[in-house]
Amino acid sequence: MPPPSSLTVFVVDDDDAVRKAVSRLLRSAGIAVAVFASPGEFLAQYDPATPGCLVLDIAMPGFNGLQLQTALGEKGCILPIIFLTGHGDVSKSVQAMKGGAFDFFSKPVKDKDLLTAVRAAIQRDAVARREHAALSEIRACLDRLTPREREVLEHVVSGKLNKQIARDLGITEATVKMHRSRVMAKMKMQSVAKLARLTERCGIRGNSE
Amino acid sequence: MSWITVAWSINVAGCLTLAAFYCAVWCKQRESWVHLLFSCSAIAAAAISVFELWMMNAQTVEQYQALIRWIHVPVWVLTLSFVAFVRLYLHAGRAWLAWSIYGLRTLVLILNFTFPVSINFRAITDIRHFPWGGDIVSVPVGVPNPWGLLSQVSLLLLVIFSVDATITVWRRGDRRRALLVGGSMIFGAILAWHVPLVIWGAIDIPFFLGFTYTGIVAAMGYELSNDMAQVAHLARELQFGEERFRRVVEAAPSAMIMVDKEGRITLANLQAEKTFGYSREELLGQSVEMLVPKRLRSDHRNFRHDYFSDAQARPMGAGRELFGRRKDGSEVPVEIGLSPIHTSKGLLVLASIVDITERKQAELEAARQQHDLAHLARVTTLGELSSSLAHELTHPLTAILSNAQAAQRFLARDDVDLNEIREILNDIVTQDERAGEVIHRLRLLLRKEEPQKHCDDVDVNEVVRDVLKLMRNDLINQNVTVDTKLAQNLPAVTGDRVQLQQVLLNLVLNACEAMNNHNSSERQLLIASKSENGTVQISVTDRGGGIPEGKLEQVFERFFTMKKQGMGLGLSICSTIIDAHRGEIWATNNSDRGATFHFSLPIVGSEGGSESLSN
Repeated sequence: MPPPSSLTVFVVDDDDAVRKAVSRLLRSAGIAVAVFASPGEFLAQYDPATPGCLVLDIAMPGFNGLQLQTALGEKGCILPIIFLTGHGDVSKSVQAMKGGAFDFFSKPVKDKDLLTAVRAAIQRDAVARREHAALSEIRACLDRLTPREREVLEHVVSGKLNKQIARDLGITEATVKMHRSRVMAKMKMQSVAKLARLTERCGIRGNSE
Repeated sequence: MSWITVAWSINVAGCLTLAAFYCAVWCKQRESWVHLLFSCSAIAAAAISVFELWMMNAQTVEQYQALIRWIHVPVWVLTLSFVAFVRLYLHAGRAWLAWSIYGLRTLVLILNFTFPVSINFRAITDIRHFPWGGDIVSVPVGVPNPWGLLSQVSLLLLVIFSVDATITVWRRGDRRRALLVGGSMIFGAILAWHVPLVIWGAIDIPFFLGFTYTGIVAAMGYELSNDMAQVAHLARELQFGEERFRRVVEAAPSAMIMVDKEGRITLANLQAEKTFGYSREELLGQSVEMLVPKRLRSDHRNFRHDYFSDAQARPMGAGRELFGRRKDGSEVPVEIGLSPIHTSKGLLVLASIVDITERKQAELEAARQQHDLAHLARVTTLGELSSSLAHELTHPLTAILSNAQAAQRFLARDDVDLNEIREILNDIVTQDERAGEVIHRLRLLLRKEEPQKHCDDVDVNEVVRDVLKLMRNDLINQNVTVDTKLAQNLPAVTGDRVQLQQVLLNLVLNACEAMNNHNSSERQLLIASKSENGTVQISVTDRGGGIPEGKLEQVFERFFTMKKQGMGLGLSICSTIIDAHRGEIWATNNSDRGATFHFSLPIVGSEGGSESLSN
C-alpha cells in the first residue's frame, strides 16, 4: 500500500494473473498501483482521501464490479472507475455507463488505451478534487455570514441595486452598503460576478423578487 | 371221459397257461415280484386241481392217503402267495396277520408230514364211492385228526386278513379292485370250508378247492392284465409324445440340438442345419464341440461335464458372449438355453440356440446412435456455454497482452530490471499454457470418440473440478455460488471422463436454470462426492423450485421437460450414460427447498466395476 493521499490507481480483479499483469503494466508507465482480489477487500481498505482512479473487473463471483460502483456512489465517493469487461457483457457495460463509469474496455485491453484512460481519469479526479476543495472553502465562508448578511447576499447575487435591496428588505440604503461590504470581506471576494458564480454552485440562488 | 375229468383238466390247463404267461412277464421284468407271485399261485391252483382229480379216481386207501398228505404242499404255496400278493400288489392287509398266516400254514405243513397219515386224518379206513352229477366220485372215510383244526384256524385268519385288506382298499377309493380281488378272496376262503365238512362226512361232495382258488387267481390275473393294458396305453402315449416332441423341435424357430452325456449329438432340427450349415446326417452322432469355435472347445468340454453333474434348465454361459462355429469356419454370435431331459437312454440335454447376429448389429447400431446423440447434446450444451467459455480464454489472453506490453515498456527504460522481465516472461508462458488447457478441455468435449473406446480410471473429484472450471464464468454471470463437499481419497471409477463431465455439466446447468427466477443471494449450488457401498456418489443440490412430486422419475424420460425451451433430452442422455457405466441416477426433493440429483458409479475392483463398458 502506498502512503495515503499519494496518487494511486486501484486494480480490483479476481483473476490473479490478470491483476498482476495489469498492475505491472501500470507500474511500467510509472503509476503507483494498489491491487485487490475482490470488491470487499477494496472497500475494507480504501481511503477516500487518496486521489487516483479505479480499474475494476465487471464480473466477479459474489460481490461484483457493478455492485461496488453502486456502493461507492452511495458513499458519495467520486473516484473515477474504468471497467474491464469480458467479451459480450453488453448489458453490464450499459449499466456501468449509466452508473457514471469513466470508461470501459473489453479484455484483453491494449496498453495505450488503458494508460490513456487511466491518465485522463487521474486528471479528472484531480480537477474534481480541486473543485471540491474550493467549494468546501466557499461553504465555510457562507457559514460565517449572519442571517441578515445572507439575505443581502441573495439579493446582491441576483444583480439588484442597493436602493432596490433597501426597499425590499425595508432598511436604509446605508445599512445595505454596510452589510454588502461585510459580505464581500467575509467571502474574500472582489467582484460580485465571481461571487454569484461560486455561490450558485453551492446551491444558492438569487432572490429576484 | 367223464365231464368231471374234462372240467378239472380245463381248469388245470387254464391255470398253467396263466402261470406260464406271467412267469414270462416276470422273466423280462425281474423287479416285478407280483407277477412271480401270481405265477406261483396259478401253478399251485393247477396242482391242487390235479390232486383233486386224482383223489376222485383213487382206487386204494394208500393212494388216497398219499394224495391227501401231499396236497398240502400246493395249498401252502397258494396261501403264502395270496397273502404276499395282497401285501405287495394292493399294499393292504395287516403285517401281523400276514405273518400269523405264514407261520400257522407252515406249522400245518410240518405237522402234516409228522403225522402217520395227514393232518386231516388219523387214519383212512375206506374209500366211499357215490354218484355225483352223473359220475361216480370217491371220498375218504376215516378218523379225522383233531389237529386239522389248525388248518381251519389258518383259513379263518385268511378270511379276516382278506376282509381287512378289502376294507382298506375300498376306503382308499379303489372299489373295483377291492370288490374283485378282495371279494374273490373272501368268497374263496369261505368256500374252502367245504373241505372239513367233507372230511367230517357232513356233506357228500367231492373236493373242489382247485376251482375255488382258480376263481381268486382269475380275479388276480384280471387285475394284472388291466395293468398290462394300461402300460401298453402309456407306451403308445409315450410314443405319440415322442413323435410330437420331435415335430415341435423340428418346427422350432431356433436351432435345437440334443446331446448325450458323452457330448454326442442325438437330435438336430431344421433350424440347426440352417444355422450351422451342416446337414443332419453330418451332425448326428458327432461331438457337439464341432459347433464350438476351436478356441473355446476345451472350456466348453469342461462346462458340459459340470452341467451334467448338476443339470438344471438355465441359459448357458450367463454373462459371457457365446459363439457358434459354422461348417465354413465362420463364427456366429448365439444365445443358448439348456434343459435336461431324463429319458430311458439316460440324461440328455436339449440346447436351444438362437442366432443373435441381427440383434447384435441392432445393438451396435443403437449404441452408435446413442453415442451420436450424446455427442450432439454435448456440442449443444457447449454452444449454450460458448460465450462463457470464450471468456475463459480472455483471462489468460489479457494477462499475456498486458504482461508483454509492460515488458516492452520496461525494456524502453534506461534502467532495465532483468528480474522483472524474467518474471513477466514466466507469467506469459504460464498464461499461455492456461489458455491451451482451456482449448484442450473444449476439444475433448467436442471430439467425437468411437463408442466404448475411451475408458479408464477416473477420479470423480477431478471431473467435478473440470466442470467447474468450464462453467466458472457462466456461474459468475448467473450469480450462482458453488460450494463443494468432495470426499478425500475417493476411489477411482471406470468410465469415459468426457461423458461423465457431460453428465455433471448437464446437472449443473439444470440446477442453475432452476434457480434463475430466485434472488441472486439464494442461488446456491452444492456439489458433493462420497464413497458408499462399493460405489462413488455425486450429488448436485440446488435451491430452486424443486420437482413436482410424482415426476421424480419422469424427469429422466426422453422428451420430458419442465423448461420453456427444453427438448427433454439432457437428463435422458445423462441416464443413458450412467446406465452404460453400470451406475444409477436419481432425483430427490430437498426437505426445505430445491432438488438434488444424484448419480452413483461402481468403484474399480468392486464387483462388476472392472468389466468393460458396454452399451
